[in-house]
Amino acid sequence: MTTLVPNRRDLLLTLSGTGLLAALPLAAHAQVRARLVIIGGGFGGATAARFLKRLLPEAAITLIEANPEYYACPFSNLVVAGLRDLSAQRFSYDSLKAEGIEFVQERATDVDPVSRTVTVESGRALTYDKLILSPGIDFRWNAIDGYDEAAAEVLPHAWKAGPQTGLLQQQIQDMKDGGVVVMSVPPAPFRCPPGPYERASLIAHYLKTHKPKSKLIILDAQEKFSKQPLFEDAWSSLYPGLIERYGANEFGRVIAVSPSSRTLSTEFEDVSADVANVIPPQHAGVIAHRAGVADMTGWCPIDPIDFRSTLQPDIHVIGDATIASPMPKSAFSANLQAKVCAMQIARALSGEAVEPTTLTNTCYSYISDRKAVSITGVYTNDGGSLHSVEGAGGLSPLNADPIVRENEALQAKTWFRTITKQTFG
Amino acid sequence: MTRQLGALTIIALFVGACGSTPVETDSIELSPMADTSSAAVLSVACSGCHGPTGGAITSLEGRSSAELREALLRYRSDADGGSVMHRMMRGYSEADIETISAYLAEGVSE
Repeated sequence: MTTLVPNRRDLLLTLSGTGLLAALPLAAHAQVRARLVIIGGGFGGATAARFLKRLLPEAAITLIEANPEYYACPFSNLVVAGLRDLSAQRFSYDSLKAEGIEFVQERATDVDPVSRTVTVESGRALTYDKLILSPGIDFRWNAIDGYDEAAAEVLPHAWKAGPQTGLLQQQIQDMKDGGVVVMSVPPAPFRCPPGPYERASLIAHYLKTHKPKSKLIILDAQEKFSKQPLFEDAWSSLYPGLIERYGANEFGRVIAVSPSSRTLSTEFEDVSADVANVIPPQHAGVIAHRAGVADMTGWCPIDPIDFRSTLQPDIHVIGDATIASPMPKSAFSANLQAKVCAMQIARALSGEAVEPTTLTNTCYSYISDRKAVSITGVYTNDGGSLHSVEGAGGLSPLNADPIVRENEALQAKTWFRTITKQTFG
Repeated sequence: MTRQLGALTIIALFVGACGSTPVETDSIELSPMADTSSAAVLSVACSGCHGPTGGAITSLEGRSSAELREALLRYRSDADGGSVMHRMMRGYSEADIETISAYLAEGVSE
């Protein structure tokens, strides 16, 4: 239970020798009556709201989110492949509301960093002392010629979970045996670096199981990709002959689409699809650009010690919208960045110094219905940027026993349950 | 030391092999970290995977700091290990592991 009553650990700390030190900041935290506004209710924003409420019980915490509920992207590739119900991806904000977080279900339309004001669609203005932006990604519509919001209804991206996920799943299910599924992968950086290849694996699993005469073509703007040796090993052993991939130097980059004929064009040729999944080029969520925290790259530079924007005062940015490389744009990263950001904001508002620390990331990817592989990273956030800790992190072992892959799939399920419970209550 | 790590691993494999999902209750904590000490900030990374109910990822609740430290140091020093924990612990110093173990042990004395 998340309550305002100190938990057992706090009590123990207070009673123990070291606890005296820990108890002082807690008392200072209780005096903080700041107005803290969070934009975006995903793995970053919802976590930040809950952590801030827990750390600063007297502060006014407001979460602004356009949607009444959240559809999680992790595990949504299982939905695409017909292995999981879309409803298992849906999370409500009821717990956050019950915890005393003000939930404003509106689209944030503007941020004025000078007057420290957020404006929402209805015209209401919210003043903040600190603002956390966790807007995720938005798509660069028409960066691929012809790929706009209307085209996405025919050639789904399914890169924000929800109805788009269901649409792609339905199209694959309705496709004839012997059909061709074509995926278009954008240039980096984009949300969930291994995601397209997990999706390819799971679509291949569906085709092999249900429509064995079919084929999957990946048109890829990247040359190399995340977990590449593990995915390629899985494709050749589990789905031989089913997947064809064309990387950047094989003219794989899609430059135009035609929704009416379901054709994807590279610089070299036109490829006809029965089902086309176009994952478009991306940038930080639009509100980040309105707030002036995104730079020429379309993403948000931050000081990772507390994820403060380097471009605007009193604004922190977390999650997919940030420039946090080598930390990837993942739900795990967003969730951990939210926690560190919230803890450092609580420290700063209580008059304590912010401190560097060690961060991690773990991403599991399914390669079949029951097998998964993982990548991990360990990072330090000292000195204005994130650095990988040398000798740590990396991929699941190649050529591992099947039980290793099956265990990682089970770990993935536990991870999903834990992180969504933490984020949404 | 080996035995304790073995016990952790066996728990993980056992639950996994059964395919059983522990009953979810409302008692899942947001995280054990309600303070902002350096130890809390360092240890908060663990909370992304290790929930109180456990499952295929071991719950850390009720474990002593000695037990945690030995398991984490074993992951760190096992050069042949390929699990997520092996890969992760190579990025932490012995002092980090000491701090994290003591913090996560929730005051359970050694």
